[in-house]
Amino acid sequence: MGTILLCEDSLEGIFTGIYKAYERKENHTECKLQAGEIENYQLFAEYVRVQREEELAKKVSRTICRDLGMEAYLCICQAIATEDKNKADAVYHTVVEGINCFKQSTISKNSSCSTFQFYGIMGNLTNPYVQKVFELSRSAGNEIMRMKEILRFRELENGILFAKIGPKCNVLSFIAPHFADRLPLENFVIYDHLRHLFVVHPAKQDWFIVTGEHFDKEITERFSEKEKEYEALFTHFCHTIAIRERKNLNLQRQMLPLRFRDYMVEF
Amino acid sequence: MDAISTVNRENLIIQKDSGLSIMEKLEILSDSAKYDVACTSSGVERKGDGTGIGNTVSAGICHSFATDGRCISLLKVLFTNECIYDCKYCINRKSNDVRRTSFTPQEICDLTIEFYRRNYIEGLFLSSGIINNPNYTSELIYEALYKLRYEYRFQGYIHVKTIPGTDPVLVEKLGYLADRMSINLELPTAEGLKRLAPNKHRKTILTPMRQIQNGINNNKNELAVYNHASQFVPAGQSTQVIVGATPETDYEIINVAENLYQKFDLKRVFYSAFVKVNEDKELPALAGGPPLLREHRLYQADWLLRFYGFQAKELLSEERPNFNILLDPKCDWALRHLELFPVEINRADYQILLRIPGIGVKSAKRIIRARRSSKVEFEDLKKMGVVLKRALYFITCNGKMMYNTKIEEDYITRNLLNVKEKLPFDVNGVTYRQLSLFDDKTFTESQPVAEVVGEDEMERIQKKIIRVS
Repeated sequence: MGTILLCEDSLEGIFTGIYKAYERKENHTECKLQAGEIENYQLFAEYVRVQREEELAKKVSRTICRDLGMEAYLCICQAIATEDKNKADAVYHTVVEGINCFKQSTISKNSSCSTFQFYGIMGNLTNPYVQKVFELSRSAGNEIMRMKEILRFRELENGILFAKIGPKCNVLSFIAPHFADRLPLENFVIYDHLRHLFVVHPAKQDWFIVTGEHFDKEITERFSEKEKEYEALFTHFCHTIAIRERKNLNLQRQMLPLRFRDYMVEF
Repeated sequence: MDAISTVNRENLIIQKDSGLSIMEKLEILSDSAKYDVACTSSGVERKGDGTGIGNTVSAGICHSFATDGRCISLLKVLFTNECIYDCKYCINRKSNDVRRTSFTPQEICDLTIEFYRRNYIEGLFLSSGIINNPNYTSELIYEALYKLRYEYRFQGYIHVKTIPGTDPVLVEKLGYLADRMSINLELPTAEGLKRLAPNKHRKTILTPMRQIQNGINNNKNELAVYNHASQFVPAGQSTQVIVGATPETDYEIINVAENLYQKFDLKRVFYSAFVKVNEDKELPALAGGPPLLREHRLYQADWLLRFYGFQAKELLSEERPNFNILLDPKCDWALRHLELFPVEINRADYQILLRIPGIGVKSAKRIIRARRSSKVEFEDLKKMGVVLKRALYFITCNGKMMYNTKIEEDYITRNLLNVKEKLPFDVNGVTYRQLSLFDDKTFTESQPVAEVVGEDEMERIQKKIIRVS
């Protein structure tokens, strides 16, 4: 029984879904939120499709920032970046829980819940939905960290730095600020080849995300002269820096799983 | 003292080894730097100012991992491997016949910037052998760093080694360019140092260490901090001790480390399992390879000192001067203090939680946070990252133990030994494997053979070769 809201698999889509769920004024335990397509329909559930609406999504994101705090907001954004099937529902119920606690804490400052606002909803790890969001955001966080580590820029003939990545979740908008701050004077492009998304950063300007563009693959495979030289230098450096007496390929694989190595010039 | 005066001397160095390409230089000078274990880029968070290149992340970033499983975070090179000293454990000792070369400041800058913009590294780790004298060497290092910071506007991480015996004025100037400075203690005791590094003295090592400590403190206490004033060694200082070259016990080493943390405010002490690169009668023969397990235990204890509120004397004593081979120091401590257990997860304070085997800093903090809103159960603990198979003997949740276990030393020891400890290497410290022609399969300069012929074929070829040989 109950209602299942179907929303688009994106930050805006899920936030719109949360808004619509509140709008229905039903009991939240009866309501589920599902991002993307359903694999298996439930017999007695009522399905409602939700179109994404920027305005509503903005309202929800404002509420989350204000009532749940920035830490929770970041966790929720990271959780949504993953590919998990139940992420929308976990986020939805975490928001419900967070807003309930926030209301309680503002009603009675002396109740046991009053400490809640200070420590934030994400500390409430005994709640299964919060647990789920926490887990998802942790795994997205790890993937974001990994991409900052293993991403390799290669200088193309035209001087642009080009990097190709294939992360488990949609990390582009999380890693772009890091590289934009780090390389403000460079023209660079980061390409997520699994999702066909680009981050484009023109020198001394703001970065932006490009979707659905086709691009000339050949250009990205023509590297500058210096590029080959520095790749060789770095590969050689990786060789000589290892201590032969301590050789331990298992440890190397544990620290750096094989799936990343396709994107790294030194392997 | 003025760094500008070194410009002419730089030409001298170039002439000396003009025959070597940058690749050969990098090979020689990174090969000799590899025994320095400090390769962290952590401790300072700094945004780029938009005029150059680089920023730093306080947690540090490891960009790659070498075949020994150690991280590659910084471009770790020596400025020069020429040296006037004759330390017995060092590959670059004066009496060794090795190829000698030096970078020029320009080469250092080019390598750092080009590696950095391709996201290979977090910054530069610059150490050096001693050429002519300590001051001369430090001036060259200063020149390279100055160029990197001011000409290239490089704002990434720089770790620089202090050369023992350098003039304090020069040490201070270097401190304003670097994020981290370190000076290697090399050997845990003064006697060891005297025996193996006859040209180095405890005093010339500890004096600059104290100076840097004072510099960091003064910098913190500045009343008016200008927005763009450069900070003095913002990521703190570290040091390194070699383990297993001299007969010190773990107890002595860990005491030295504790002293350094308390009296010199060090950020890190690194332990380096001794690798025998020279034949010398003063050096021990290491039949089983470098003492990796010992190094591992020292690091575990080091973490307990820095983050878990332990003291060296709690972990070891004169009577028990070395770590247990079979159990990690925290389990070992807990088993000797069973009177404190079991601990109630929902009530114990943070310091007590930290003492439970299987609970780390992060999970302890999560427990404290979670139990504000509701009671914590065993299932929740697992989600929070607690290693239950180790912790379950020492804790209760809401008054209940997880299973019907006894608080008894023999019983728990036996069970803990069954839970295999995750070590970064085999228990005896070395990984034995078949030698093969294709040993370095993971790092290949050109296209890997395996890729061309396919993995199965490759295996067949390897087997064949082994059979033939």
